[in-house]
Amino acid sequence: MYPEIGHFALALALALALLQSVLPILGASRRIPVLMKSAQATAIGQVLFVAIAFAALMHSFIVSDFTVRNVVENSHSLKPMLFKVAGTWGSHEGSLLLWVLILTVFGAGVAGLGSNIPAETKARTLSVQAWISVGFLSFLLLTSNPFERVFPPPLDGNDLNPLLQDVGLAMHPPLLYFGYVGFSIVFSFAVAALIEGRVDPAWARWVRPWTLAAWVSLTAGIALGSWWAYYELGWGGWWFWDPVENVSFMPWLLGTALLHSAIVTEKRDAFKSWTILLAILTFSLSLLGTFIVRSGLLTSVHAFAVDPERGLYILGLLAVSIGGSLALYAWRAPEMEGGGLFRPVSREAGLLVNNIILAAATGSVLFGTLYPLILEAVTGEKISVGPPFFNAAFVPMMLLLVGFMGLGPLLSWKRADIAGLLQRVRFVAALALLAALASWYLLNGGPFMAYLAILAALWLLLATLREWALRIRLFEVPFRDAVRRAGNLPRASHGMTLAHTGVAVLMMGMIGSSAWKSEEIVFAAPGKEVSIAGFDIAFQGVERVRGPNYFADRGTLAVRRDGDLVTTLFPERRTYPVAQTTTTESAIRSTLAGDLYTSIAEPASDQVNNAGAWTLRILYEPLVNLIWIGAALLVLGGVMSLSDRRLRVGAPRRAKTAASDAVAAE
Amino acid sequence: MIWATFAILALVAFAIVLHPLRMAGAGILTRNDTVPKILADQMQEVQRDLDRGLISEAEAQAAQLEIKKRILSTLRQSESAPVNGAAGGRKSILIAAIFAPVFAVVYYTTMGSPDIPSLAFAERTEERTQNAEVTELASRMRERLETDPDGGPSEGWMLLGQTYQRMGRLNNAITAFEVVAKRPDASSATFSMLAEAVVIANDGVVIPKAQRHIDRALELDPKNPAATYFRALYFLQQEQPRKSYDLLLSRLNEEVSFAPWMEVYAQQINRIAAEKNFPAFQPPMARAQQPGPTAADVAAAADMTEEDRANFIRSMVSRLAARLEDEPEDLDGWMRLANAYNVLQERSLAIEAYQKAQALLEEMPSDDPRNAVVREALEQLGG
Repeated sequence: MYPEIGHFALALALALALLQSVLPILGASRRIPVLMKSAQATAIGQVLFVAIAFAALMHSFIVSDFTVRNVVENSHSLKPMLFKVAGTWGSHEGSLLLWVLILTVFGAGVAGLGSNIPAETKARTLSVQAWISVGFLSFLLLTSNPFERVFPPPLDGNDLNPLLQDVGLAMHPPLLYFGYVGFSIVFSFAVAALIEGRVDPAWARWVRPWTLAAWVSLTAGIALGSWWAYYELGWGGWWFWDPVENVSFMPWLLGTALLHSAIVTEKRDAFKSWTILLAILTFSLSLLGTFIVRSGLLTSVHAFAVDPERGLYILGLLAVSIGGSLALYAWRAPEMEGGGLFRPVSREAGLLVNNIILAAATGSVLFGTLYPLILEAVTGEKISVGPPFFNAAFVPMMLLLVGFMGLGPLLSWKRADIAGLLQRVRFVAALALLAALASWYLLNGGPFMAYLAILAALWLLLATLREWALRIRLFEVPFRDAVRRAGNLPRASHGMTLAHTGVAVLMMGMIGSSAWKSEEIVFAAPGKEVSIAGFDIAFQGVERVRGPNYFADRGTLAVRRDGDLVTTLFPERRTYPVAQTTTTESAIRSTLAGDLYTSIAEPASDQVNNAGAWTLRILYEPLVNLIWIGAALLVLGGVMSLSDRRLRVGAPRRAKTAASDAVAAE
Repeated sequence: MIWATFAILALVAFAIVLHPLRMAGAGILTRNDTVPKILADQMQEVQRDLDRGLISEAEAQAAQLEIKKRILSTLRQSESAPVNGAAGGRKSILIAAIFAPVFAVVYYTTMGSPDIPSLAFAERTEERTQNAEVTELASRMRERLETDPDGGPSEGWMLLGQTYQRMGRLNNAITAFEVVAKRPDASSATFSMLAEAVVIANDGVVIPKAQRHIDRALELDPKNPAATYFRALYFLQQEQPRKSYDLLLSRLNEEVSFAPWMEVYAQQINRIAAEKNFPAFQPPMARAQQPGPTAADVAAAADMTEEDRANFIRSMVSRLAARLEDEPEDLDGWMRLANAYNVLQERSLAIEAYQKAQALLEEMPSDDPRNAVVREALEQLGG
């Protein structure tokens, strides 16, 4: 019964979405309050019914109801409970249902929380949001029904890819989707503004919390995904420039640009059409990402051509939403420029540079991601665009961006005093340079680019701290006053400082773990010793252990430094008999200074005549944990900014005036 | 119960859509209510920045002047008054409220499966126990038959084969039937059951091996209905629908009284008749209560047009080929694929598949019976 309730609820959600896509926008153009208000009810109704459907699917996974095809294909009765639950969004159908759930959550969020948004704007925005809902709900019901039934049911399921049985990954899609899909509401706001023909500081203020919420989740989602890859894949890498990663990174880059350009719109009534364009493009990239991942295009362009139904449907959605919104933009945007003027050296100009670099960086990632797909489609040739391309195209742009990032917050709006500015930063610039030179002297070795990056990261860190010190007048006024001033700063300002510091910390982690990584891969029989980065690691052998739904070969590695036992590591090779696959569980000794990362692979072939030998992979990655710490600071900064009191300003208690005036006028 | 739940959900949807009518009296927010508030807040912010000494007096004044201008311009943009409580709005809402449940019900009645119950894994212990019992029984029976110094009674092997076939373990079933087929007491039924298992194991295609068993079954009993059915199926797969139709019809007309297998015959005859415009068969018997032979499963392929069937068989073969790309170690898979290609008269593909099987066989013991099969087939194909 539960799966059918879910199916029926999904149909009701589609019905409500259809209504919401027409009634409110009609109400806004004809000025009929009751129709405008209907958006609020239907938006909340939609989330209710999609949540019922999602809960029904989750219930089927939890009790292992194998009359549901999706459960058969993606679960197994022996799977640990956590992963049964996570199986709900592990499949194509389930993850799309989650996609739609988040879409409706954001719609309902604006309906329920956006109490400071005028009814007309809200009605149009929610109608646009419902267009997206209609597209994806119909996609679900017509091509990817998660509630398809099997009867009689098979005795047990086919398991979920054990690689995906990891806590990090269980949480990864929900967060990533929250970010991805969260940008939909920003897109809806932008399209609504284009229809209304008005963008102003108030609009930017209404959109800001939603942009921030989406950006925070996307940041957390990407960081978790990278963390998962690092722990689970057994290679010790945290970013592979893999297309699946790139498609989530592109909306993040543009979303970051959007976050900054919306500030200019809010404070200075400028960059209006640019902000709108960024809002449209950010969500378009999210859609593109969904298309690339969900259409099967990545496995092979040809696999897509064999079973094109789903892919074509999303492609159609993509064409309509991106093409439609860009056409609308081309038509309406020219009407809405104007606003504050600014000098070439000003906060506005700084943010403009930020936007241009971020957009160019997004372009380079987009090119690197799509080019192999297009080439394969046209010529049939299969190539992969990997780290060398991105290191050459993307990294220098980021270094430039970081250079400006240190300066930006020190600039004042409209026109900045360049001489004063230089005077304020010359000390930190010199300090950063000195520290970079010192690291060159101490580390001797490593690529030149790495030292450039160290310089950039140190500069960003010091300049950010310097800006903060200037704001609270540290060392200028008595310390107690400075602390009081710090307490009085708006939370958005704390958010900015935290996030920029996060970027600097993140960069140091990236530089350390990529430029100064040491790696040893050895065939090892018990008794073998390996030395790496000052550690002596003794391989003591392998034993077979049993997990809830797998067997594992667990290696024992004694780690010593200068003869003292530091720790014992137990990397595993797991075999999942039902799914007939194996995974690597790395064992890591984690410290702030760096990670000692070990993994064990299949025994070396018997033909080499060294039975009992295993392939050991041992890495030392300096500073790698700074990546997650930096990402956490970014998220914290975003959350801090989101909690700023000012985002909630403008909510009148009860506005009866408008209605009563209207009645009187009649 | 399930429809009652649907009714409640539909009612909730109906109420949600109607809800705005209840708030019709309340006013709505306009830009004039909200925008000046935000701008006023910005003014205060500038003031705070000034108090903190973050900006100069002149900068603050310029900024405040700009914000004041924006407030004035917002207030000046007069908005046309909302048409409050317009009847059109009410009517639209009412229609919309009816639309939502109707849409969902219409969709669901075409796409939903209200009759399929939910079955939690935990509730299916009985089924699992039964399954485990059957598996246990089958393996015990097999053990006893295998250890029997006389090779075990033929009835026992036939029962084991049928059990395996019901469990979907077709290769085990074939092996069990084959034990009896090699004995002198093998009956016509032995061979037709073996043929059926072979056909099902080959996704419904009557491969030469099955054909040989059918021949043998009909040799022993020319009237064996199952064997006749599979021979007719073979004709159909060889694109000889008339021959297939005639064979089934003549066999059916030989009988004077009713037998359960006739239902399946009649269905198959009528399927061919519908496609080829042959006269349809009117069954003299009423509805049979008993199910027909399991051959009904096999007949799925027959419920198609000539072209569809060829495509169906080909798609099945190509699916097998694709699977083998991923699992190249599947020796039996390669043999099956080679066989299928042989039937489809794809000589070079068949040779290639047999060669793949041959390569895999090199790692097997040299007395593996499959060696002989492959060698023989390759010789026949001249590869």
